[in-house]
Amino acid sequence: MDYDVVIVGGGVNGTGTARDCAMRGLRVLLLEKADFGVGASGNSSGMIHGGIRYMLSDRRVTALACRDSGAIQRIAPHLLFRIPFIMPFTSRRDGATLRERAAFYATEVYVGTYDRYQPLKSGKPSTRLRADELYRLEPGLRPGLHGAVTLDEWGIDPYRLCALNAVAARGYGATLRTWTEVRQVLADGGRVRGVRWRDVLTGEEGEALAPVVFNAAGAWSPALARASGVDVPMRPGKGVHLTLDRRYSSYGVILTAVDGRQMFLMPHGSESIIGTTDDDYYGDPDDLEATNDEIEYLLEGAASLVPGVRRARITRAWCGLRTTVRAWGRYEDALSREHQLLDGAPDGAAGLLSIVGGKLASYRAQAQEATDRIERLLGRPVTPCRTHEVPLPGGDAVPDPAALARELPVAPPVAAGIVHRHGSRARDVLALVRDDPRLGLVVCRDAGLLAAEVVYCCRHEEVRRLQDLRRRCRLAVGGCGGLDCARLGAQLAGRTLSWSADRIRAELADLLDAGWRERRPVLDGVQLAQEELLRAAHGLVEVA
Amino acid sequence: MTPTPGLLEVDVLVIGAGMAGAMAALAARDAGATVAVASRAPGATALSSGAVGVAPDPTASPDEPLAWLRAPVEAARRLAARRPDHPYAAVGVAGLWRLGEALRFAARQLEPLLAPPLERPRLLATPAGNAVRAALCQRSMDAGDLLAVRGPLLVCGFAGHLAFDAALVAAGLARYTPRGGPEVGDAEVALPFDDPAARPHELARALEPPGAAERLGEALRIPAGALGAGAILLPPVLGLDPAARVPERIAAAAGMPVAETLSDVPSVPGLRLHAALEARLRVAGVARVTGEAAGAPAPGRAVEIGGTVVRAETWILASGRFVGGGIARRGALVEPALGLPVQAAEGREAGVHLARRPAASLTVRDRRAPQPLLSAGLRVDAALRPVDDRGRPVHPRLLAAGAVIGGHEQATDGSGLGVAILTGFLAGRAAARRGA
Repeated sequence: MDYDVVIVGGGVNGTGTARDCAMRGLRVLLLEKADFGVGASGNSSGMIHGGIRYMLSDRRVTALACRDSGAIQRIAPHLLFRIPFIMPFTSRRDGATLRERAAFYATEVYVGTYDRYQPLKSGKPSTRLRADELYRLEPGLRPGLHGAVTLDEWGIDPYRLCALNAVAARGYGATLRTWTEVRQVLADGGRVRGVRWRDVLTGEEGEALAPVVFNAAGAWSPALARASGVDVPMRPGKGVHLTLDRRYSSYGVILTAVDGRQMFLMPHGSESIIGTTDDDYYGDPDDLEATNDEIEYLLEGAASLVPGVRRARITRAWCGLRTTVRAWGRYEDALSREHQLLDGAPDGAAGLLSIVGGKLASYRAQAQEATDRIERLLGRPVTPCRTHEVPLPGGDAVPDPAALARELPVAPPVAAGIVHRHGSRARDVLALVRDDPRLGLVVCRDAGLLAAEVVYCCRHEEVRRLQDLRRRCRLAVGGCGGLDCARLGAQLAGRTLSWSADRIRAELADLLDAGWRERRPVLDGVQLAQEELLRAAHGLVEVA
Repeated sequence: MTPTPGLLEVDVLVIGAGMAGAMAALAARDAGATVAVASRAPGATALSSGAVGVAPDPTASPDEPLAWLRAPVEAARRLAARRPDHPYAAVGVAGLWRLGEALRFAARQLEPLLAPPLERPRLLATPAGNAVRAALCQRSMDAGDLLAVRGPLLVCGFAGHLAFDAALVAAGLARYTPRGGPEVGDAEVALPFDDPAARPHELARALEPPGAAERLGEALRIPAGALGAGAILLPPVLGLDPAARVPERIAAAAGMPVAETLSDVPSVPGLRLHAALEARLRVAGVARVTGEAAGAPAPGRAVEIGGTVVRAETWILASGRFVGGGIARRGALVEPALGLPVQAAEGREAGVHLARRPAASLTVRDRRAPQPLLSAGLRVDAALRPVDDRGRPVHPRLLAAGAVIGGHEQATDGSGLGVAILTGFLAGRAAARRGA
């Protein structure tokens, strides 16, 4: 056997489990049909939150998420940023009806209960705000609110979380293959013995033998399991988010959608995010796009408390598929966010382990549980997990961006962006500028992206396609859609990865295609003018 | 009657000072009319590649020799025959017949900046290493015409200037060598000044002072000699002010023809084009007004723009598309200045009602395909008068020119500034006739 375990899927479950398995000394092959985090993980809300929403129905999910959120803060402090949320009261306290008072009371008990979990994730306890305090903090809220309660959450760059778990796994000896799809799970006499894979970029095919195949393919996992005769019961739910070009509020705002669901508007980095929808999805997971209805639903909900978002510039609409465990007769929202590990043995595919469901915030605990199971399937003793103690790459000794900017020739905001993405490895990124001052060129002023970071990611972070840089360092993700940075990024990546001129052109077109798919349903106002400019600048017409 | 203070009475008011507006104003002025041009800010022309594309040839094959390229006017005719909604078709056969005249007029008006038009298109390189056809180009680009280069072409980048990758451009242009394009080589030279992070317009300015262009030219002798080059192609940063004669001075010092590529954004050649249009309007005696013409009434009525009251019998709307602000989408597609009906076309369906469709319905997933949303705009009759949803002119003396007219998209059909020049020229001439 070539490996102890083949992990299928480069989302947070796959990469997290790859890291844990590799740290425990297993021989790991990770196969991802596209790039790390392209599915539900990267397209999540980007929060390591405790899941207050699940507290009533799934208290265990909340507790686990809070505890693990604390662990992620320890191992990747650079990736996280605090997002304080406010939950406004829409009706008056004095002279309130009994029903309204009951609602206040319930909210306070609700948030107060959540406070008990906050210490697990270094969150601050909730505070009650009077109306005047509320409007001082968040003047953009609609008039007529009567106060709020606060709760503390954490934001993260989910793509980098996946990539860093993968890079860490590689450091412990795991083999990583992105842009490689699994064609077939190989089996013999009721036992899996590996997979047959195909590199979608080169067409190369091969077999990798292992006694355990861990199916962490998210929305794609039922199809993979079905080919081996295994049923993975899943109810995929489509979640759409909108990105606004700037911060439209200082705090996250918890909102009520037109149908009564809870949703949010939150600042995330230099942008704001509105999320999210949750609807059953029966289509092809490779064929996912936000619809006009979903966009309107989100805007309508956000505008009910923050009317200014109706004039906001929406830069993109993006979506993913939640892989919730199947349940009949419940609304999408009420589906449990708990995860399940499913063993293929009863269906005649021993050694095939599938994971369904789970939350980004609990990925580490999910990976730990999966790794324990994998060790058992291998017939080994379960060894201690250390993924909550050992930092992710860059998570040790995170440098102060201001100090770094004084030390090296970069502007402080650029240094801050690089430190956020790379933690202590920001020094390695900036060392490239010291060796070659040309790499000090700012590729994107919005994202604070240096030429050096593009080169660093290409060299060290498993970049195989130009569009991977959207996820590693936010190349061409912002409002300009790559007007300034796309061609330069393509040239830098091409040089670093020795691409031919034809390949560079093809990669550039692919990068722009990816952005177009996210922008086309939201083109309006200045964003439409920007698109016109982008299309003209990347001249679509050639001579013949 | 004594003139009212602050009142500007002219025959023709042009709204927009990009290529279409400037051509309309100059054509009307040239025909004897008095003209005012109102604009609020530089638009898409200042952000353009700096050259004028007229039309791709829809019948050209990707393998045929470059020398077989059809003349711009003929390519435009073929495009019009296939696309009845295109402005080249809307102006009618008689209108399109005057494309050659319009291009020659534009070249004459912008004489110091533009090279004279040829019968055939010029074949010019982009910074991505593609060749595109241009009906008109700046003199600084002329020597890079792939069909005119004698001997190998040296693509040369500047050390420390990452935005232009000479090897990539050279590899791209080498694809045209089997079809009759030149042999291509690449090199990198040090700039005569040290600023690795300089932006294009900063590089362009830095090449203007005495000595800078000359030192660069001398540095180019070495790689050009090694290749036995017949011409040198440089990044599109050869001076902001054409009067500084940067390309000529580099060429003199290098001892061979020197050209720059077309530009993407930010565009130094686009800024040059914008400045040349403004200068020409001044020289031609066109009144300039700066401000927004939002909520304007109708031709013949007084309109206040940026503190000046303008009255003109004929108006030409040349306010551009989305970048220029002539057409906007605010939940639905609108024409902000006069509230004219905006039309979109989707498949065989076209009309004003489509302007209210969601963006997702007016776009298709393939980015490189024509996008109905991006080609939305006014519809005009053969006399360039905007029409309403029943095809009747909105006003007898209201004309439109350039990208505000829908039915084409610069990015996918390559007919951007060609449409501006033709419709601007025709509208200007027509307006002058009415004013007379």
